[in-house]
Amino acid sequence: MKYLAIVFMFSMSLMGASSEMVGYMNGLEAEAKTQNRSFAGFDAARGKEIFTSTHIGKQGKPIACTSCHTLNLSNPGNNTFTGKVIDPLSVRANPQRLTSTKEVTKWLRRNFMDVYKREGTAQEKGDVLAYILKN
Amino acid sequence: MKTIMNVSVAAVMLAAGVYLYANEIPEKSEHHHKSAVTQSITKQDAASAALYQKECGSCHMAYQPSFLPKRSWDKTMDTLENHFGTDATLDPADHKTIQNVLAKYASNDDRIRDAKGNIALRISETPHFVREHREIPQKMVTQAEVKSFANCTACHTKAQSGSYREREIRIPNYGRWE
Repeated sequence: MKYLAIVFMFSMSLMGASSEMVGYMNGLEAEAKTQNRSFAGFDAARGKEIFTSTHIGKQGKPIACTSCHTLNLSNPGNNTFTGKVIDPLSVRANPQRLTSTKEVTKWLRRNFMDVYKREGTAQEKGDVLAYILKN
Repeated sequence: MKTIMNVSVAAVMLAAGVYLYANEIPEKSEHHHKSAVTQSITKQDAASAALYQKECGSCHMAYQPSFLPKRSWDKTMDTLENHFGTDATLDPADHKTIQNVLAKYASNDDRIRDAKGNIALRISETPHFVREHREIPQKMVTQAEVKSFANCTACHTKAQSGSYREREIRIPNYGRWE
């Protein structure tokens, strides 16, 4: 278990996550474990499914994370309601991403609400972050 | 003949003088809504305004506070969990800071209400806005490059700095507003 944690943290830092974010994701991991005993680590493939699947959102219309962020995280996106340009989500394309836990928690809260009409669970948030970090 | 010449030259000079002087007159307030960020204000207010710009400007233009009265801004800030259909909630400290700076620089004009005379939530439903935009064909607004009247910067090229002069307008795919 400790070995897994070390590997996880190491791979997080390799992927460009700041130490603040590493701490945040460790917290998510601990929370996910208490909510789901069979939790075995965050999974980018699960995160991709969460990110790309369409749901009836807050406005009663179909929406997905990709509606604003697009399928290619290195591209800029567009706010689907206002048209405003959104900087790329990929950390490789946009090094500012995933460096501030304040920003990350804010946007995860809001955007889960927009698409899923509820807050994301710790596992879901971690999975999404793992997906973003991989792209 | 000479008198006529003198008078007409004088008239031309007068007209030229008036035209040149008119350009020197400071902007009428209705064409220039001072961005709270660019006015000379306290450091704290500047920081609050910058926070408003950053937070609220992340999805749409951070509209100048003077476009709406305090009661409109309060109503907006009290309903952020359902802000025109989306979740725009903030952390409590930021929420308070932004609400305060909006209230401080809001308009004092009590006539600013929506079409039914209620608290206006949309700037585009306020009397002055409706008047100023009444001649614009729908298609210029609904086209993909603009989307709606919420998107000031699509046409008002200097909106971010608070200037809405007619000569600065460039409507995507249509050009200047003549």
